[in-house]
Amino acid sequence: MSFDISFIGVVIASIMASSVPLILAASGELITERSGVLNLGVEGMMIIGAISGFALMIVTGNLFIAIIGSMFAGVIISTIFGFLTQTLLTNHVATGLALTIFGIGMSAMLGKNFVGIPGKEFPVFFDNLSESIPFFGPILFGHSIVFYFAFILPFLTNYFLKKTKIGLMVRAVGDSPDSASNQGINVNLVRYLCILYGGAMCGLAGAYLSMIYTPQWIENMTGGRGWIALALVVFSTWNPIKILIGAMIFGGITILQLHMQALGLRIPVQFLSALPYIMTIIVLVVISRDSRKIKLSTPSSLGKSFYKEK
Amino acid sequence: MKTNLKLSNISKIYPGCIANDNVSLEFESGKIYALLGENGAGKSTLVKILSGVVLPDKGEIFLNNKFLKLNSPIDAKKNKIGMVFQHFNLFETLSVFENLIIDSNESRESIRKKINLIMEKYNFSIDLEIPVLNLSAGEKQKVEIIRCLIRNPDVLIMDEPTSVLTEQETIELFSSLKQFSSEGILIIYITHKLKEVMSLCDEVAVMRKGQLVSVSKIADEKIETLANKMVGQNLKTIKKISKEKSSEQLIKISNLNFRSEDPFETNLENINFEVNRGECLGIAGISGNGQSELFQILSGEIISENNSIKLNNSPIGNLNPQQRREFLMAFSPEDRMAQAAIPQMKIFENVALNNFKSSNFFNKGLINERKIKEHTKKILSDFSVNTNNVELKSQFLSGGNLQKLIIGRELITSPDLLICFNPTWGLDVGAINYIHQTLIKINEQKKSVILISTDTDELLKLSDKICVIYKGKLSKIMNTEDVTAEKLGLLMGGGEID
Repeated sequence: MSFDISFIGVVIASIMASSVPLILAASGELITERSGVLNLGVEGMMIIGAISGFALMIVTGNLFIAIIGSMFAGVIISTIFGFLTQTLLTNHVATGLALTIFGIGMSAMLGKNFVGIPGKEFPVFFDNLSESIPFFGPILFGHSIVFYFAFILPFLTNYFLKKTKIGLMVRAVGDSPDSASNQGINVNLVRYLCILYGGAMCGLAGAYLSMIYTPQWIENMTGGRGWIALALVVFSTWNPIKILIGAMIFGGITILQLHMQALGLRIPVQFLSALPYIMTIIVLVVISRDSRKIKLSTPSSLGKSFYKEK
Repeated sequence: MKTNLKLSNISKIYPGCIANDNVSLEFESGKIYALLGENGAGKSTLVKILSGVVLPDKGEIFLNNKFLKLNSPIDAKKNKIGMVFQHFNLFETLSVFENLIIDSNESRESIRKKINLIMEKYNFSIDLEIPVLNLSAGEKQKVEIIRCLIRNPDVLIMDEPTSVLTEQETIELFSSLKQFSSEGILIIYITHKLKEVMSLCDEVAVMRKGQLVSVSKIADEKIETLANKMVGQNLKTIKKISKEKSSEQLIKISNLNFRSEDPFETNLENINFEVNRGECLGIAGISGNGQSELFQILSGEIISENNSIKLNNSPIGNLNPQQRREFLMAFSPEDRMAQAAIPQMKIFENVALNNFKSSNFFNKGLINERKIKEHTKKILSDFSVNTNNVELKSQFLSGGNLQKLIIGRELITSPDLLICFNPTWGLDVGAINYIHQTLIKINEQKKSVILISTDTDELLKLSDKICVIYKGKLSKIMNTEDVTAEKLGLLMGGGEID
């Protein structure tokens, strides 16, 4: 096998493309969790986003409406979660699990008439450059707007949390909702907004799958990516940049092990398929093992309901 | 200009508890005011109302004779009322600077300037860039104080500020507070520590059970008089009829020490006492001086050095509560709903809970409901609990009936030693009388009682021997005949006698 530099560029580009939904969903969930809310409904919100985006694309024919609509669908379904956990003070874990089950069932029902229909082509930028420049061409050019957004998002998220006042409030609420409330911060409002934002990002992640990555609707097409995104948030110790690294490792090993399977090495296929999960966790655990830093970035109130004294 | 803060007929009622009952108070700048009372007296509720955290059900607040409506903490801040809470309101994982800017709309630079000025003026030195969780308790408190000072407050409220401070930090805090006061900030200092009131404050308001008991100048008060006001009724010296003493030792505590990681707990230092058969030892003290730690160690919730507790000469220090029950010990904890019983469970289930070993109750892992219910019915009638429905959920029993049930549950197995902690707290007179009679009866049956209580009246009435716990240390043990309420009051405030 010859090491063609252009070929490696193409492989890297495909790794990046496969990690886009993970980055989007995990970045959204990171903000939600940083405010102290544990939403296990990522998978459910993604799949709702996937069917909404695809259905709107077919029905309206307008890609912009479809993308916005998928995010809006994520917002609506996360509103249910927000209402239950923040207003009715239900348990975060149980409600999130229910949300995922609900999302998968709901999407299957909505998607019945869309199975087997081919999607529209999504516009990409500078497609010609991607072929003419070796190595960097396929990595940097010829991608959709969602792709570029996904790779900027972790940096934006990092900046938002560290440098802006609202980001500071989000971290404060996640650290100690009681103190935040005593300081006059509207804890419920902050948490609601973070939940809705997480919903929007998960919706977008789903739409990327059904509209751009594999433009069609297949039942249950998120295939557990929501759970991987959740794991990325935890194992990255709530650090957006590490989410980017983790998502790339996961995507990279997924693609790599496919190539290894094709080479016919005498390694059990099951082991190779498990490799991305194992490696991602190992790498993230190793790069995040400073216990002091873990303590500093873990939202102390994660998963706990907040009840305001009256 | 002088600041004047007036509370008029403030009432706050929580389900099952009147936290503030028509409290009216007036404060003026230039003085340091103490708000004194035991835990649960309603001080904290009052200051939460003053800082906008909770809304009063009734009553009005006036600042400089203007009506003040405090709907949220923001309103209090706008009106220049600053508050330092007992449990710090800080964000542990954020840096000191982030903690200080979070509620402010000014630019980072101008706040940083202000902070540096404040630190210089009052001689604080804190690294602004490190996360709060790396600070000591005293430093955290300084961060809280700086957060108030940034807003040039007219009123500064300190809620139990010394509960987590060392002696040195307390001295520093007091000198800062005196400086603030001389600069015209009105200071309201909430505490249950009498010594602090005497050394720091100018005027003192005493609260008890949600009501304002008295307002007076410190110059007119002594530690004992304040202790009496705080703990309740001018103490009558009713005593139990003394009988011939048994000299057979039952339990012996020697060199018991306890160090806690939790800054809100009290360390115990070199506790020594013994109790003979048929005797009641009373342990007095203002709440928060180590009583609950001592109770937990005696009951086995906290394990201690094996030899430090000996029952009938066998070491039991590292046995758990269940194992101690086999040594015929019984326990009645302070918090009936949280520690003694599970409110959501039925009465008979609660009775079964401290009797896992009883072969009657459980058979091959199955619950023998019939036996437990029979047993429970006997408790209900023997201890005149006001119901005979064993299926009733325990949360529907009144405090008095629940306490009777708990004491009954403990006593029906006829233990040698009953350890109880504030057994009559919050009960009505009838129930109190019943519990007192029961405790006297136990002694008459040659069984022993350790009574940890904050109610001096009760202790003088029931104990044969009495001692005081103060800051985790036990005073010498005295015969109750030689003790007066005044003496106890002095010891409870940290004073010395003889």
